[in-house]
Amino acid sequence: MTAGSVAVLPPDVERQLEKLTPADVVVSVPTYNNGATISRVVEAIRAGLEKHFAGVPALLLNTDAGSSDATTERLGDAVLPLVRAIHPAPPGQLATVPFHGVPGRGAALQLSLGVARRLGARALVVLEADAVSIDDEWLEGLVRPVLEHGADLVMPVHARQRYDGTMTNLVLAPLVGALFGRRLHQPFAGARAMSARLLDRLAEAPWPPPGRGETDLWLVGTAIAEDFALREAPLGPWRVESNTRATDLPTMVAQTLGAVFALMDGYEDLWRRPADGVPRPTESALPLPPGDPGRIDVGRMVGAFRRGLSDLGTIWEQVLAPETWGDVLSLENEDLARFRFPDELWARAVYDFAVGHHHHVVYHDHLLRSFVPLYLGRTAAFVLATRARDAAAAEAALDATAAAFEAQKPYLVDRW
Amino acid sequence: MARPGARDWYKDAVFYEVHVKAFMDANGDGIGDFAGLTERLDYVQELGVDCLWILPMYPSPLRDDGYDIADFYGIHPSYGTVPDFQKFLDAAHARGLRVIADLVMNHTSDQHPWFQASRSGPASPYADYYVWNPTDRRFRDARVIFVDTEKSNWTLDPARGAYYWHRFFSHQPDLNYDNPAVRRAMLDVMRFWLDRGLDGFRCDAVPYLVEREGTNCENLPETHAILKEFRAVIDREYGGARLLLAEANQWPEDVRPYFGDGDEFHMAFNFPLMPRLYLSLRLEDSRPITDIFTQMPPIPPACQWGLFLRNHDELTLEMVTNEERAFMYYAYARERDMKLNLGIRRRLTPLMDGDRRRVELLNCLLLTLPGSPIIYYGDEIGMGDNVSLGDRDGVRTPMQWSRDRNAGFSSAEPGRLYLPVITDPVYGYEAVNVAAQTRQPSSLLNTMRQLLAVRRTSPVFGRGTIEFLRPRNSKVLAYLRRLEHETLLIVANLSSAPQPVELDLAAFAGVAPTEMLGGTTFPPIGPGPYFLSLSPHGFYWFRLERPGDGDGPYGIEGTAI
Repeated sequence: MTAGSVAVLPPDVERQLEKLTPADVVVSVPTYNNGATISRVVEAIRAGLEKHFAGVPALLLNTDAGSSDATTERLGDAVLPLVRAIHPAPPGQLATVPFHGVPGRGAALQLSLGVARRLGARALVVLEADAVSIDDEWLEGLVRPVLEHGADLVMPVHARQRYDGTMTNLVLAPLVGALFGRRLHQPFAGARAMSARLLDRLAEAPWPPPGRGETDLWLVGTAIAEDFALREAPLGPWRVESNTRATDLPTMVAQTLGAVFALMDGYEDLWRRPADGVPRPTESALPLPPGDPGRIDVGRMVGAFRRGLSDLGTIWEQVLAPETWGDVLSLENEDLARFRFPDELWARAVYDFAVGHHHHVVYHDHLLRSFVPLYLGRTAAFVLATRARDAAAAEAALDATAAAFEAQKPYLVDRW
Repeated sequence: MARPGARDWYKDAVFYEVHVKAFMDANGDGIGDFAGLTERLDYVQELGVDCLWILPMYPSPLRDDGYDIADFYGIHPSYGTVPDFQKFLDAAHARGLRVIADLVMNHTSDQHPWFQASRSGPASPYADYYVWNPTDRRFRDARVIFVDTEKSNWTLDPARGAYYWHRFFSHQPDLNYDNPAVRRAMLDVMRFWLDRGLDGFRCDAVPYLVEREGTNCENLPETHAILKEFRAVIDREYGGARLLLAEANQWPEDVRPYFGDGDEFHMAFNFPLMPRLYLSLRLEDSRPITDIFTQMPPIPPACQWGLFLRNHDELTLEMVTNEERAFMYYAYARERDMKLNLGIRRRLTPLMDGDRRRVELLNCLLLTLPGSPIIYYGDEIGMGDNVSLGDRDGVRTPMQWSRDRNAGFSSAEPGRLYLPVITDPVYGYEAVNVAAQTRQPSSLLNTMRQLLAVRRTSPVFGRGTIEFLRPRNSKVLAYLRRLEHETLLIVANLSSAPQPVELDLAAFAGVAPTEMLGGTTFPPIGPGPYFLSLSPHGFYWFRLERPGDGDGPYGIEGTAI
């Protein structure tokens, strides 16, 4: 399963490291054609280090997947010690770039870990080169808990509007939370900070093979499974400007849900434990960002769900357990006001898709894409149930969804 | 997208042609059976097809692989019993699969009790069940079909002292459809199986039912009248959702009458198109395909063409010109063993020299040209053939399930198998099997599953019109399929080299084509030519939707994750 030993760094990286002194903080920015945004991200890193960590030896690491634009030249603008590296990118990921926008992100993370350990870093921070909403507070939020509060893994919690992140809130977070026994607000966030202790442990582990998208999740799952101290850091809004990320809903769903399912297939030891429903680590309510939450077209979503029933019914029938399929078929979808999608049924449906993926019931890509109308139906039900209510009620609804996934986990284990 | 209950379910269906003897042997006697086929229905369902077509399953001396039926009311003992068939049929229906079965209407085996009784002389109640004559000099304008084995359509029967008529092998005497008793008897046969729930028949050799002096004895008006009579009875008695599929290996203008006015056959095989798919691919020229469509007569709205790349018979070249046939032999059957009658007895993948890209391209055309596709068992995994086996047996070898003994087909001693499994290094079961391809995401099997799954997402494939775009680069075949507000664009590179193509899509200016297999949105179409480049034998399936044609944004896309 290993993608290569983390102890071995490319010779050109070794040569660069020989000239450097140890660093307490290594900030890694994997890139792929991020010329339009990289300068903004690097400036936020410089400002954050200067403002919050003045005097702490720090280094900027760039691992690039083979950019053909001005990304790597613009990194030269940074007035920070800089290590440049090229990480291998599987051809398949160059054609269809995975969710975080950088082909070969797993290799980039592995290389970053190697550099951080070689320099004796107390914290490795990974940031996204296309996250243009970054400001100088992000480094503080991510790094401080590692350097001063004993955290081993710090994941961001970005401020979001109520109906932002519906795929995360209704599918990915409750699923990952139930699998790992630890709720996380945003398990697919690309930024994170890791302690030296966690890096040492990860260096011993066989990493996921290249060419798949589950490395980020594997890192989190390993940290949770082995009781490393995990924290979530409230950060500002998350907004990206990217030419490489998928923008269509089916692909985004396939990439993210596919990554969870791939992790489930490859690392049963990380998730086949009972969920203990640990509360979310962040304690205070997150501030809503300013701005219009946007118009949600619930009617279109339910229409897509209805069309899914007619067009994809033959696929869902194969993927879903008979009882789940029967319950999905019986959902009232003609009268919008009465359209509901119970949490318990939703959890079973998602678990059935995981099992169907595991057993190759239908072609993986098609299974994942056929999930979209179901997700739209569940999202519509969530909006319908909460749009006339306050933020606390919406949060409570998401908590109930997470609890349903945790309660139904034995169903998953039984069917696996 | 077979819709349960729809009378015209066959228009959306994908068919899967299978030999009972070749698919799975449950009792370990070396011959596939209905119990084995039932065990493997999950596989058929997962493949994504809608209807199984079962090759002849009746008691038979098997001198023509079951097309020589000795008892229309039974199941061949090697395959099981009528109750075994019923269990299979019920299990298929439980999975939403339909089943049609071969029925040979034109003739029987010479072992059939009707023929044995008929031989005894004019006094027998079955005397006129067959076409007898004192000499072999009637119907001399009728061609001999199996030219490799038969010299005449008449054979002398010493017992009756007369000649009997047979359009195929001499052991397959033709039934006499001028006799009302024969017509009643055949209808009773059909009722027997339809009463058990069978979804229809693939009717073998239908052009030859009636003979008339001075004609070629094919496609006669009297034959059509009988077929219409059968259709009317079945529609009346079974509610109109049972399928009749014609095997009429004829030129388009001669096949067209088999649809009648929508009152004869529901479907007929598109024999003329099939060889031209191969011809276009080998010539790297779209014109053989586009030209044959200009000769394709319109068919009644409720009717459908059956499309196929290969089947259990030789790749028949009756429906091509002599020049085209010579080229096809040159291109696809360089060894003498590969030819049979007027055709080529090879499977799809060996015909394509094992070139996966060409196999996928042909399947692309099969699934996107107008009609209902028929997939021959084993072609979905790229099974090979064994041309050293006699007749057409080379393409009828056991299904290759795994690399276990006998390819996982049977637990019998290898010597007891009805035919040996393919063992050559390229196509042998150790290299080509279902188990391995199931695990390999990019396998031909999984690609076929994906193509079939995407085909299910739109009724346009089965029901839409076709309009060829005729780009300047004739190595690229491009066509629009339309149904109501939905339009699909199919673009296929027939060449083994990358090809550019400019398409006139001005009517769709402003539309951003969505590639259906990968979900990628392509740049919007402008007023000028739309430029695409295609990899060798590459193809695209695009959905063309104007902004506002389909769904607008849901309002969550930008922030979903």
